[in-house]
This record gives sequence, structure tokens and C-alpha cells, in this order.
Amino acid sequence: MDGRIVIRAFRDGGGENRMSELVRVTDVTKVYQGGITGALNGVSVSIEQGEFTAIMGPSGSGKSTLLNLVAGVDRPTSGTVVVGGTDLGKLGETGLARFRRDHIGFVFQFFYLLPNLTALENVLIPAQLKGNSPNGRARELMERLGIADVGNRYPARLSGGQQQRVAIARALINQPTLLLADEPTGALDTRSGEQVMELLGELHRDGQTVLLVTHDAKLATRHAARVISVMDGTIVDDARLESPERAAAEVIRVRGEEAAR
Amino acid sequence: MSLKYGVLGLLKEQPLHGYEVKNRFEAMLGGTWDVNIGQIYTTLQRLERDGLVRPVGHRGDRGKLLYELSPEGQEALDEWLATPDSGPQQLHEEIYVKLLLATRIANGDLKGMLARQKRAYLQRLRDLNRLEEGARRDGRIDLARLVRGALLHTEADLKWMDELSSERFGTEGAKTE
Repeated sequence: MDGRIVIRAFRDGGGENRMSELVRVTDVTKVYQGGITGALNGVSVSIEQGEFTAIMGPSGSGKSTLLNLVAGVDRPTSGTVVVGGTDLGKLGETGLARFRRDHIGFVFQFFYLLPNLTALENVLIPAQLKGNSPNGRARELMERLGIADVGNRYPARLSGGQQQRVAIARALINQPTLLLADEPTGALDTRSGEQVMELLGELHRDGQTVLLVTHDAKLATRHAARVISVMDGTIVDDARLESPERAAAEVIRVRGEEAAR
Repeated sequence: MSLKYGVLGLLKEQPLHGYEVKNRFEAMLGGTWDVNIGQIYTTLQRLERDGLVRPVGHRGDRGKLLYELSPEGQEALDEWLATPDSGPQQLHEEIYVKLLLATRIANGDLKGMLARQKRAYLQRLRDLNRLEEGARRDGRIDLARLVRGALLHTEADLKWMDELSSERFGTEGAKTE
């Protein structure tokens, strides 16, 4: 029952108006027993459809907590989280599980692939939870992510970069409204990390709304035009960056010491 | 300093006129360093005076005079390339002075200043990312490396802002001696 409401809300809101509001977090507080790490204190923020937003902040600042609340993985102590017109607080556990399955794609730092399933089988899990087995779409996605040739391998036989691509394909298999990524490059070497971020950037250019938690400001600003800074459980800055064409000299000045004698 | 050796390096490839030196130098730097032709001629004259370059052929129309590297110039260039950059770190930006002044004047309330500076660094990171992308697209891997250096520097600046933001600035921060 809950699920149907969610789905209708998305149909009404999605598509025709690209810059409509997709996520609204209002005055959210999250208190954890036994400590303040990761707590949130009166956070309000809104995310538009089609945006690529980066959330940055030190460890324990609450940035991952914010992501988990938007994902419906966790519930706030007070305040509301509305995604696609649906108030997640009004959903029961079953409704919340259905919401996550149908609308959220989640990519983690440590991939979380099931070790006894092949790459292809891992990609298919979320679809199978819905009773589907879209082999064609899975292969298409894996092709696009450059992992078509490792579909029959088990995770242990994949590199970190390949495992993260499998995880991204898994996150995308149900065509999520919102793609959430929590430090997706944190366990990867520089080059694999760049490639994974490049993929997220491509998905965004194709219209995917992406919410990224990261430590890496270099990578974040390459793709995200909006950077939200979280510190001690509050949003301390919300920067919308410009992307004009700039001449090299407007961005960098190289100078040595002048005045050769 | 590096203009002088930049000129020597370009002349090592082949003899050049003043204008060619200017154009090649600017192209090498990908537009991140503009030099005027006067600076180039002054540099060439000094290099000639010091015996590091010499004119090729006859001295006619000065603008058309070709210069080449002398053996002494070659030696000076090799030595410069082999010497690591050392000496004091150059901090050119005003934020360093602003920070010191604000610590005294603003009574330790630097939050706004740090937040604005952080935003500026984020925007710079975005601009640098685009520049790096463009350099790679144009096949200028050398230039992309330079931009990469700038990206890492700006990342450090950003971390510095974060570090300062999490500090508690009291009056003890500004010792007025």
C-alpha cells in the first residue's frame, strides 16, 4: 500500500519538470545513544531533480547520516524527510523497504557484493527482489560500465575498481530515482577512483540525480556543481559552483621570479 | 629566472627570432603566463651579453635576428634543470595577510572570512578541473600535469580552511609582538 503511494508521487513529479524538487529534508535531528558521532542537529536542505550534489565534511560530521536518512535506511529522531513527494516518516518498515528497492540506488565505499554470487548475479539482486530478472538490462549496464567481460566472475576475482562498477550496476538495475554514493572512491586507487567518478558524472549528464558523500574535493568539484559542507551535525555551507568557460590565465598564473640581471 | 631559462630551453630546440620565442613560450605555458615582446628582447640581450646565446648570421632588422644557444648557454641550462627548486616557499595570495590581520581585528571571529575563502577555493577547484579536462582533450599532457599540481595545491588550501574553521580562535591567537 505504501509502495503504491510512493510510485504515484514519483510519476506525478518526475519527467516533465527537470528542476523540480526531489528531496526535502526539514529540521532533521538525529541523536545516537552513547555518543554524538554522526549526529545531526536541525538540518534542512532540498535537492532538485537532476542535480549532482556533493556532501563534504570531516569524519563523524554527520554527512553519512544525512545520506542514510534520505535513503530511508535510517529514521530521524525528529524532523521530516520527503523524497519524491512521499514523507518517509509515514512509511512502515515494509513500505520503507519497498521505497528503497524501487527508488534508491546505493553505492558504498567497500562495495558489499555477495561473495558467493557472480558479478552478473550481484547486479540482478535488486531486480529479483521485485520478481524481475532483466538479464538484457543487466548486460547493457555492465557493457556501459566496462565490466561486460567479467559477468561470470566472482567478486574475489575482480579488482577494486571492477567491484565498484558491479556495485554501481547493481545500484542502477531498478532505474532508481536517486543514486546515493557514500565515499565510492574511498577504497580505490587514484585512477580507478577517477574512472568511477567519471561514470557517475556520465550518469548525471544522462539525467540521473546523484548525491555523493566524499572527502575528495578535487573529484567532487569535477562533477558536482553543488557542494554542501557539514560540520558537527549542521550544514555550514551550501555552495553552488559556476561552470563558465574560462581562459587559462584566469584560472592559473605561472610566474617565476622576474628581473633577470 | 624561469623566463631566462625558458628562452634558453626553447633555443636548444632550434634557433628562433624574438617573436617566435614569445609565441612558443606562451604556447608552452598554455596561456598561463603572458610575456610582452619587450621582456623577451631584454632577456635575449642579457643572455647575449653573458655569452649564453649568440646571433645567427648578420645583424639586420632586429626583429628578424635569429638567436641560437651557445655551449655556455647549454651548460647553464643543464645546470638549472638539474637544480631542485629550494629556498623559501612563495605564498603570493592575500589570504595569508588577511588571516593575520583578521585574527587581531575581528577578535577571533573568522568564520565568515574562512567560509567565503573556502567557497572561492571550491570554485577554483571546479575551474581547474575544467582546465585539466580541456588540456587532456587537446592532447596537452604536459599542461594537464601542471594543472594537476595546481589542483593539489588548492586541495591543500581547502584543507587548511577546514582546519582553521574547526579551531577555536581566542585572543591568545594574536600576539601583538
